[in-house]
Amino acid sequence: MSTELVSQDAFYWFVTALTGGVAGAWFVYDIINLIRVRHADAADPLIRDRRFGYVMGIVIGFAGVLGCLRFHDVV
Amino acid sequence: MVAAAPAPRVVSPFNPANAVTASRFLCLPPFVWAVDNGYHQWATLFILICGVLDKIDGLAARVFDCRSAFGELFDAITDGICYGFALILVAAYGWAPVVPVALIIALGLANTGMRGVYVRRARRPVNYKSYAMERIVAYTGYLVGFATAGFEVTFYYWLFVPLMALIIGHDAKRMLVDQIPPAPAAHAGGAR
Repeated sequence: MSTELVSQDAFYWFVTALTGGVAGAWFVYDIINLIRVRHADAADPLIRDRRFGYVMGIVIGFAGVLGCLRFHDVV
Repeated sequence: MVAAAPAPRVVSPFNPANAVTASRFLCLPPFVWAVDNGYHQWATLFILICGVLDKIDGLAARVFDCRSAFGELFDAITDGICYGFALILVAAYGWAPVVPVALIIALGLANTGMRGVYVRRARRPVNYKSYAMERIVAYTGYLVGFATAGFEVTFYYWLFVPLMALIIGHDAKRMLVDQIPPAPAAHAGGAR
């Protein structure tokens, strides 16, 4: 069995696409989710939990994209 | 005459969704083999398959209509065991920094303990649902992949620790103090 599946460059671009693609999509998705619940009743614990979750999703999504940019020395 | 309330639907634990969840453990032996031999790409592939199966079990639960509280709990336990084991392994082989991994495992164990308290308070098999925790668990799967791929490992690992601590701190009050929502009437459990 070969020790590598693809070339190292192709592998890194695959990981970049998988990470940046999912993180970027998640970032946008949770921004949309957060906008959708902006008028919801904040007294409801479930709504507060959803808002907190969406904010964390935005932070994690941003971090995912930032890591990809760091890896390729863009930032 | 008052119509009788529908009996709660009982779902067998031996269902397709739980079979997919259990099959995730099969990814661990080849993962160990790949890490032990220094095959970074193979190790990434096996942890990726484990992550994909995590998505497929939810899909199987919807397709075969076999969602249950047990399945939801089994899924969370499998996440903890697979990703926890993989994190310890990559740290042991020097592919990931030990200190953040130790902190992540400690936070994970604290979270598991609080979930146990939540189940005891609820007096039924119920998985604590947290939108933020769902997101950080997905990040955990990626963490292992970052280590096996050697992809911005220090950045992603050290960023993860304060985020997880913040989420567990937020969830602690709901798990330990707040009132627990009643079980859904028509289903034995909630969404998988």
